[in-house]
Amino acid sequence: MLDTLASAIAFGIILASVIAIAAMGFTLQFGLTNVFNLAFGSIMTVGAFAAYLAQVNGINAWYGLGVGGVAGAALTLLLGRGLFRLYARRGAKLFEMVMVTLGLALVINYGIQAVSRNNVYQFTVLQAAPMHLGPVTITPTQAILVGIALVVFAALEALLRLSRVGKALRAMAAEPSLARSCGIRTGRVVIITWVISGFLCGMAGVVYVINSQSVGYATGELFLPLVIAAAILGGPGSPGGALAAALLMGVVTEVVSAYGGPQYSTVAGFGILVLVLLFRPSTVLGGHGRETRLTL
Amino acid sequence: MTGPEVATGSQAADARARVPALSARDVVVSYGGVTAVDGLSLDAFAGEALGLIGPNGAGKSSFLAALGGQARIRRGSITLAGEDVSRLAAYARARRGVVRTFQMTSEFSGMTTFENLVTAGHGAAGASLASVVAHPRRSRQRDRAVARRAWEVLERFEQADIANAYGRELSGGQRRLVEIMRCLMRSPKVLLLDEPTVGVAPRVVDKLIADLKSIRDDGIALVIVEHALDVVSELCDRVLVMALGRSIATGKYAEVVRDKEVQAAYLG
Amino acid sequence: MLSSWTFYISTLVIYFGVDLLSGISLNLQYSYAGVINFGYIVFQAAGAYAAAVMTLGPSGGASSFQQYVFGANLPFPLPLLVATAVGAALSALVGLFSLRRIRRDYQAALLLIVSLIAIEIVQADVPLFNGSNGLTGVPRPLAAVLPLSPQGYQWAYAAWVLFLCALVYLLVRWLSRSPWGRALRAMRDQEDAASAVGLNVTALRLQVFVIGGAIAGLSGGLLVQFIGAWSPDAWGYAETFVIFTAIFIGGVGNYRGVVLGVLLVPIIFIQLPQFLPQIGYPGLTDSLEWVIIGLLWMLCLLLRPRGLLPERRSIALPDLSSRSA
Repeated sequence: MLDTLASAIAFGIILASVIAIAAMGFTLQFGLTNVFNLAFGSIMTVGAFAAYLAQVNGINAWYGLGVGGVAGAALTLLLGRGLFRLYARRGAKLFEMVMVTLGLALVINYGIQAVSRNNVYQFTVLQAAPMHLGPVTITPTQAILVGIALVVFAALEALLRLSRVGKALRAMAAEPSLARSCGIRTGRVVIITWVISGFLCGMAGVVYVINSQSVGYATGELFLPLVIAAAILGGPGSPGGALAAALLMGVVTEVVSAYGGPQYSTVAGFGILVLVLLFRPSTVLGGHGRETRLTL
Repeated sequence: MTGPEVATGSQAADARARVPALSARDVVVSYGGVTAVDGLSLDAFAGEALGLIGPNGAGKSSFLAALGGQARIRRGSITLAGEDVSRLAAYARARRGVVRTFQMTSEFSGMTTFENLVTAGHGAAGASLASVVAHPRRSRQRDRAVARRAWEVLERFEQADIANAYGRELSGGQRRLVEIMRCLMRSPKVLLLDEPTVGVAPRVVDKLIADLKSIRDDGIALVIVEHALDVVSELCDRVLVMALGRSIATGKYAEVVRDKEVQAAYLG
Repeated sequence: MLSSWTFYISTLVIYFGVDLLSGISLNLQYSYAGVINFGYIVFQAAGAYAAAVMTLGPSGGASSFQQYVFGANLPFPLPLLVATAVGAALSALVGLFSLRRIRRDYQAALLLIVSLIAIEIVQADVPLFNGSNGLTGVPRPLAAVLPLSPQGYQWAYAAWVLFLCALVYLLVRWLSRSPWGRALRAMRDQEDAASAVGLNVTALRLQVFVIGGAIAGLSGGLLVQFIGAWSPDAWGYAETFVIFTAIFIGGVGNYRGVVLGVLLVPIIFIQLPQFLPQIGYPGLTDSLEWVIIGLLWMLCLLLRPRGLLPERRSIALPDLSSRSA
């Protein structure tokens, strides 16, 4: 009985790590720019496919993390400084931006579907022998993924709290117009944010397929709602919040799956989001009379 | 004695005029750990223009939002003609006669001036699904009555020529006037104004002040947050000076301006 | 040869009618009230499901080939009324937690997520909803009773659908032009100012959402009674965008534009590739269709055309009359 719980929690932590990397990237991006990027999942798929192509060409699956990250960073930077800025210049409002990203998601997802002939590809990662930690059995790969999530978290926290760029970022997220007049080079901060969050996005896609061992056009799409839920729950712009929220969702999902059956697992995860929105709506209310702006 | 001449001049009217149209007691407003308003009290009387002035960050707009219902008060009470409205949402206060303008002009951009006025004139009762569906004839009659009143208001402020213009086709001053006319459609008791001269060309400000005085003379209580002190001295019968969320002086503008503490707050 | 053409055309007319209902519902919600209902498809699916179980008869339980709850054998047109009611009820439920004071971009994403959860729930649970198997064998209303050939029945059904479309069109257009409709537009433009003139915007949003959901349920019921089957895969979130794109292209904010948009996008554009020679591998055109829809959508948001049939300005005159220009 306790074994099932322990196992469920362990798998919950693993799932949480996969979600958390993406959620931390999403929250960083959204917290600063206020672009609710529904194409985030599609970019994760792009990262995953980049890693797959690298693998096909003989590159080790783990280096694929970097390949996917770079692909994600490049695409996100292009979109952020190019496409999104174009819309912002033409006076797009916040809700119009979210609609734009959804259209973009359609284009990328089905573009990938077209090119990949709607196939699902195998992504092989050599599995070492499973490890037994008491009642729980996990593979070293999974342990590494948890480690990656923690490293990402530590790196982001260090960036935000200790570096000049991080402080500038936090200032801009809190008071964008004030930050500019303080001499902060806002354009540079935005570019760095796109690059870092894009890298995490692409890498998260690779992390996901390392765990699931397969890549298809819908890879990121399946995953995106959980990522968004974790990012919103944790509060925009807060990597710690995203991590904690991802942990909560991951563990609840796996525990429900273990006891109630796998069919209810995703529902449970979303149920948390619904409950939060019902009882702590301040997370999603508009600012206190101040118009939230796009920072691009 | 301060204040405009009361039209009837009878003693009963004087007594009525001394019961505040809107009052606030020890109001505290805070969000995100910042206390914007720290125990403020105020009385606004019918037929009087009360100015809310003070340096930046004093909490003036937050207090106005508390009066209007856009901001929740942590402590204290707000009373409208004797009724406690502290817990009421903005729309409920609007139905009881408290209307306001916003710092950035808030005309309904997808509608013409006339439609803006008519929307306010119908208010909630006329716009309810039930009244539209269940009482079509009464709804049509109300439509005509509201339209008639809208033309009256437009004529009063000499704005009939912008009746069919959209906000984007109008100047800042005209849009501000649309906002104010829209408020008047509600036959309000209290009109809250948040920096009404922002975005209004200087030569238009004089007309705006004259318009606001005429509204005040109708017996409406005005509470005006304003930075431009020349407007305040011209328009307001009384002022309340705020600094750091508290009231530091109240009285006629000329007196208050000589107060040492007030000078220190503005300059220090 | 001719008969297969008439079957095809009558089928298209029916799809056009169903999509038109969706377009009217989304236009009311988006153009008038500013609600971005990315979860629209769920309410249509719910209505379709309700109509299906209301005509399939009681479920035989775990042993029969499909199981579900609340089966019945209602005569025409009751299943449609149930479908409409279910669409409205589900909208009320979803609206209660997703239509509060919430930033509109969050709201759009939230409604999208709601549609994803709903499909997950249905696909998961076999005893409750027959899960990923879906439902089949939904009988066509009055098919046994009316002395019509299969072709004749299709045209009759098409006429029935168009009749309902006309009713809904006139009703919704009337509501949109009423003081209630004006209140919606005020809420869409400046929510705070709308509250400040006494409008309860939360209640208004909920009302619009429920009416939109009722229409969605009706359209779902009409569709399922024609197709005869209900599959969870058929109700993906992407379907909603086809209708949204139709609204953008036809003309945001007016219902004539919706008719034109629905004719152009879901009908002509989606159907056209069937007549073109096949390119690439089978299924490529489907993918490319979606890519093009996405691009069209993004283009509409960029250029923000007022649509092919732009909204008319209403001019008020001092004699209390008004005209359009």
